[in-house]
Amino acid sequence: MRSGDPLQLPVAGLLAAVAAAVWLGSGYFGKELLAEVAILAIFAMSLDLLVGVTGMVSLGHAGFLALGAYATAGATMLWGWPPAAALALSVAVAVLIAIGVGVFVIRLSGVFFIMITLAIGQMFHAYFFKARAFGGDNGMAGTPRFDLTWLGLESGDPAVFSALAVVVAALVYLVLLLLRRSPFGTMLAAIHQNESRLAALGCPVRRYKLAAFATGGGVAGLAGALTAQHTGFVSPDLAFWTLSGEALIIVILGGSGSLIGAAGGAALFILLRDQLSDGSFWSRLALPAELASHWQLVMGLFFIAVVLLARDGVYGRLTWLIRGLVGTVMRARRGGGT
Amino acid sequence: MLLDPQFLIVQTLNGLQLSALLFLLSIGLSVVFGLMNFINLAHGTLYMIGAYLALSAVRAFASFWLALLLAPLGVALLGGLLYLVLLRHLQRADPMRQVLVTFGLIFVGFEATDIIWGSLPHVIEVPALLAGRSSVLGQVYPTYRLFIIALGAAVFLLLYLGLERTRLGAIVRAGVDNRTMVAALGIDIGRVFFLVFCLGCLLAGLAGVVAAPVFSIYPGMDMSVLILALIVVVLGGPGSLKGVALGSLIIGIADTYGQVVVPQLARVTIYALMALILLLKPAGLVPVRSGH
Repeated sequence: MRSGDPLQLPVAGLLAAVAAAVWLGSGYFGKELLAEVAILAIFAMSLDLLVGVTGMVSLGHAGFLALGAYATAGATMLWGWPPAAALALSVAVAVLIAIGVGVFVIRLSGVFFIMITLAIGQMFHAYFFKARAFGGDNGMAGTPRFDLTWLGLESGDPAVFSALAVVVAALVYLVLLLLRRSPFGTMLAAIHQNESRLAALGCPVRRYKLAAFATGGGVAGLAGALTAQHTGFVSPDLAFWTLSGEALIIVILGGSGSLIGAAGGAALFILLRDQLSDGSFWSRLALPAELASHWQLVMGLFFIAVVLLARDGVYGRLTWLIRGLVGTVMRARRGGGT
Repeated sequence: MLLDPQFLIVQTLNGLQLSALLFLLSIGLSVVFGLMNFINLAHGTLYMIGAYLALSAVRAFASFWLALLLAPLGVALLGGLLYLVLLRHLQRADPMRQVLVTFGLIFVGFEATDIIWGSLPHVIEVPALLAGRSSVLGQVYPTYRLFIIALGAAVFLLLYLGLERTRLGAIVRAGVDNRTMVAALGIDIGRVFFLVFCLGCLLAGLAGVVAAPVFSIYPGMDMSVLILALIVVVLGGPGSLKGVALGSLIIGIADTYGQVVVPQLARVTIYALMALILLLKPAGLVPVRSGH
């Protein structure tokens, strides 16, 4: 998509270093946040594959997150599966249902695609809301985490689980990056740019879009499985469309189509939410601490600002800045040489 | 239970009452979608603000009827302001950005009502004139709910006449059909759109006011109706008045009966219906656009 894309790996390295520093330097609460960021980053990157790379704007992506979470919760607690097998089931269920749904939805585009994915995401929400087997609107509590005793580790320990979540996020990132740089990814980017031209060239556009939709759904299912393990709790809220909307904002914030931008966007999002909902943050700004209970007001304004102002996101701005700097330095050198 | 005539009459009236509310709420959303291909997710927020403004008006003037007049005007004013400050600049943006800006507005609206009116639920008294009960086909039913049904029908008739018989209506119909052509004929479609947008906000506010005595008023009350309104718009066909009326009737009745008869599946079937209509007939049940 971006010619060269010079910042991709440096930014990824920077984020990994920040994650390592947070992991080393923070206590219980910081590590919980780190795990949350890592899982949200996986979810946001899976959405970026659809939105930023392929150009399919889904407002129902949270439905696949919920499917993964419920598959893990159901398999471990109702059938007694080990969490690792349940995680595989989560991904499989999400991929299969994404294929089933995708066959139909990829026929639509633009605002109609947004609307149909919204309807389907809400369908999952309505189903889980009423499903007695999964606890209905109360959800289910008590999903176990991976059994790591064979490594001598206790996954209930936030230090272990957050490290694990970060490693999984890094692996997902590398796989998606390879996918984007593969011929398959190039085709997806081409479909994004001009779908009708590709169809005219004889490319089976729908098959590519379906493959992207299924991959995105599967990765979202993985994020769902990790969410169920992390919080130990699943509820219909995981499928609610506002979560999909927030993930879209994260993708735009980071820089749509840049993958690592989505991960950075997830970190910024959690950081901002954490600060805004903390009374002491407002006190430090010499503002009343009660504002913390209305943090969504600032968040909403922030969303609007991001959508209006961030044309290619933080990542895009960074790339632009670095290119400008490099250009200036090169010109200055050349100017000095003559 | 299903064949009991009393049950049928009461549930059908309940369904019609929901249909009337959905119609008032969805018509603005639908025409804006039809004219500009623009989905305003904050439309439900305007409905909620209508209910809250009515609460304030009732407290200030102790008159439901004055609230019924003032609150929708307030919402129209707010909607117009929103359009001029924010939404007008989004006409050329891609659908994702349009949708997400109005998504952000939902959060702002939620917290704004929470800050101004508090998070506790409120209720408005039914006006004395309509407080009693009436007999419908031998069945006793609250008069106020009959008033909502009548109001929905009256607004539909007024809009129908306005759309079919006035110059502005003709321009709106033509604009939904082919916006570029209308603009090419020298008509300021932007101004027409602004008027239509404000009228849609006014009706959403009106829906909020009449809903207030039936449902309680609380921050987030918009979320319960927003998706239903979107389904109505998609079902009927964006930009179609008759389509919105038909869609409201279908969803109002189906949701009411669904909640009573098959509570496990109620909303699932409605979302599935929306997905199906989008796939088979993206232009809706009553398509208005000749070419798309």
